[in-house]
Amino acid sequence: MAAPGQLTPPVLELRGVTVPGRDRPRLAGLDLCLAPGEKVALLGASGAGKSTLLAVANGLLSPGEGQVFWQGEPPSRQRRRRRLQQARIGSLWQDLRLVEELSVQQNLNAGRLAAWGWPRAVLNLLLPLESADCAAVLRRLDLDPALLPVPVGQLSGGQRQRVALARLLRQEPTLLLADEPLASLDPRLAADLLLLLLQQARAPRALLLSLHRPDLLQGFDRVLGLRQGRLLFDRPAAALEADALAALYDAPPPAP
Amino acid sequence: MTLPRPAAPLLPLLPALVLLPLALLLPSQVHGGGGEAIAAFARAALQPSLDPLVLRSALSGLAVTLAMALLGWTASLVLGLPLGLASSRLVWRTLLGLTWPAELLRWLLALPRSVHELLWGLLLLQLLGLQPAVAVVAIAIPFGALVARVVADQLDAQPTAALEALRAGGCPAPAALLTAIGPPLLPGLLSYGGYRLECALRSATLLGVFGLGGLGNELRLTLQSLEFRELWTGLWLLLAVMLPLEAGLRRLRRHWQAPGRLRLGQAGVGRVGRELLWLLLLLVVLSGLAGWSLGVHPAALLDWQPLPPASGSWAAVWGLPWPTLLATTVVLAAVAAALAVGLAPLQLLLLAPWPWLQGLLRFSWALARLWPPPLTALLLLFLLKPGLWTGALAIGVHNLGILGRLLLEGLEDSGPQRRQALLAAGSGPRLALLYGSFPALARPYLAYGAYRADVMLRETVVVGLVGATGLGSQLQESLSSFAWDQVAALVLASAVLTLIGEALSDRLRLNLLRQGPRERPPAVGGSQPVLLQA
Repeated sequence: MAAPGQLTPPVLELRGVTVPGRDRPRLAGLDLCLAPGEKVALLGASGAGKSTLLAVANGLLSPGEGQVFWQGEPPSRQRRRRRLQQARIGSLWQDLRLVEELSVQQNLNAGRLAAWGWPRAVLNLLLPLESADCAAVLRRLDLDPALLPVPVGQLSGGQRQRVALARLLRQEPTLLLADEPLASLDPRLAADLLLLLLQQARAPRALLLSLHRPDLLQGFDRVLGLRQGRLLFDRPAAALEADALAALYDAPPPAP
Repeated sequence: MTLPRPAAPLLPLLPALVLLPLALLLPSQVHGGGGEAIAAFARAALQPSLDPLVLRSALSGLAVTLAMALLGWTASLVLGLPLGLASSRLVWRTLLGLTWPAELLRWLLALPRSVHELLWGLLLLQLLGLQPAVAVVAIAIPFGALVARVVADQLDAQPTAALEALRAGGCPAPAALLTAIGPPLLPGLLSYGGYRLECALRSATLLGVFGLGGLGNELRLTLQSLEFRELWTGLWLLLAVMLPLEAGLRRLRRHWQAPGRLRLGQAGVGRVGRELLWLLLLLVVLSGLAGWSLGVHPAALLDWQPLPPASGSWAAVWGLPWPTLLATTVVLAAVAAALAVGLAPLQLLLLAPWPWLQGLLRFSWALARLWPPPLTALLLLFLLKPGLWTGALAIGVHNLGILGRLLLEGLEDSGPQRRQALLAAGSGPRLALLYGSFPALARPYLAYGAYRADVMLRETVVVGLVGATGLGSQLQESLSSFAWDQVAALVLASAVLTLIGEALSDRLRLNLLRQGPRERPPAVGGSQPVLLQA
């Protein structure tokens, strides 16, 4: 596995990332490397630092110490460059964060805003733009292109999930991040969404996903266990034993 | 090919298109000269006069304005709450099983609320002579009628299931109303009441500008004698009172709406009720003090002065240029409304990448809503010729300050999630604001803008009185020539115009709010549901 990883830079690399917290660091000296095409699941109890790790990975939170690299590059100081870097990271939010008042097509095009300037962004609010591309993305996710003019507020729960994912794909990201995307979904929807996410993560695109259900790990390459801001284990999904999981979800030692 | 239909995020920006004709027309309105006066005015902002005499007179003026505002506000609540109960269909239906008295009272209250407090002030001034109570009564009458309308509307909009359940259980009507309708009504009424206090302070300042006492008077005198440094002394003092008042009321509103969210301790049973009782006691004491310090004598209110005899010439009343007067008034209000509604989101959008400039923008909005429109008009007259555009600018700028604040509060209440998601996907701060925050805000914001447009129609009278244009300037002439029949006709015309505007703006507002997405409550309504319905 190591040889191809040396040729192309890792999609995401964290080196000694520390995020200070109130009582103890939210992340403490964390190292992580994601190769292109890798599908990685992140496990841990509530408050273990999963959301913090994902916030650092998508650039919303800059770490107190340590470094972040996206495809081998540190976050750019140049505004335009930084936006394009952000566009390569696709975050799927638990509450989806779609713009309810806009149509599906306008929402999909919102994924292109990093590349578009002002005039096109305004035009997108007046006319249907790039209809063919939008329709193609919908088809990839088994959605009917007839949904393009429908306001997002009128879609069903499952359709909204897929539209949110379609907006991500319009960004053409190399890294897919999702923070507990399956929480608050019924079992069928959860299984559908997980399958879609795994399908979309083909090289060079990598997937990093936080989960709270160890029973859904089929299809992942690696599993990371996070506990109190530290990496407890990092092993192939197939080699995960019950005692590792038990240690992960054990109650933390009582504070002195 | 159909015309492109703008999507939600663009809607709040559309009214800003009025800037194009303004940019074309305004240069022709500049009369040359006066630039130095404006520059001196701007410079004086940084060096207000600290002369003890000036400070003392500004402070005493401020005290009078505050006392007038407080007393007028209290009186408007004392009038408005019972009148509101009495004009609610729900109350009449529950108590007596009929609704026509409510309808009748609503009709009767339309006139007092549609006449601007300044007009009430000027009319009462003729009737009662100059005494401190004039300003108080002038504020209390229209505000009381407005409060009554809001109370009644709110009452009638409450779901009645709980009430019916209590009634079915044999609960007597008054007790059932108090228990089932009172608590859900309370947060909205409190937030509206607080908003009216801000309005009362603005109105008291405005009445002062027209010689009814207080700080407004000082502001106008210093402006007209070009004593800009002394003018700014008064302005800064007013700002120092207004901003904490706004912040305090906002805090109280949030506290009562979501006590748990601010973690201000456990919401004990009946705690809000007890807090209210204390507040009421405090208000009684404060009002007493205010009345005493102003020297208000209730008995003097009954001592009417004989009006000069009316000329009784109907020909003169009909001879007024009615079509021009009405048309200019309406155009003035429309231009002002478009300017105020469209400019606030545009400014916010343009300054989005620079947080420190946004602080400056907030500050300029605070100054704009503080500064009474006739004073803006007087200031603009240094640069521009008197007329429609000057008046529209003056009213527009004042309301821009009010709408801007509402927009910001809506933004804060709607939360940063969607904007954050777009930023994380690499879009710039402006586009993130446009795509992430404006869509949800658009309809409630425009609905509030429609309400505000009606308020602006009422306010046209105010700039008219300093010679801008419209019904107000004619009113000024008729008042100074004691032509009472003309004055009465003009006041009535402006009242009718306001009521028509109110009906139109209500319809527009309800349409805007109804078409929004059903799933989520409107964002702006988060902290100010009643404002949107007022």
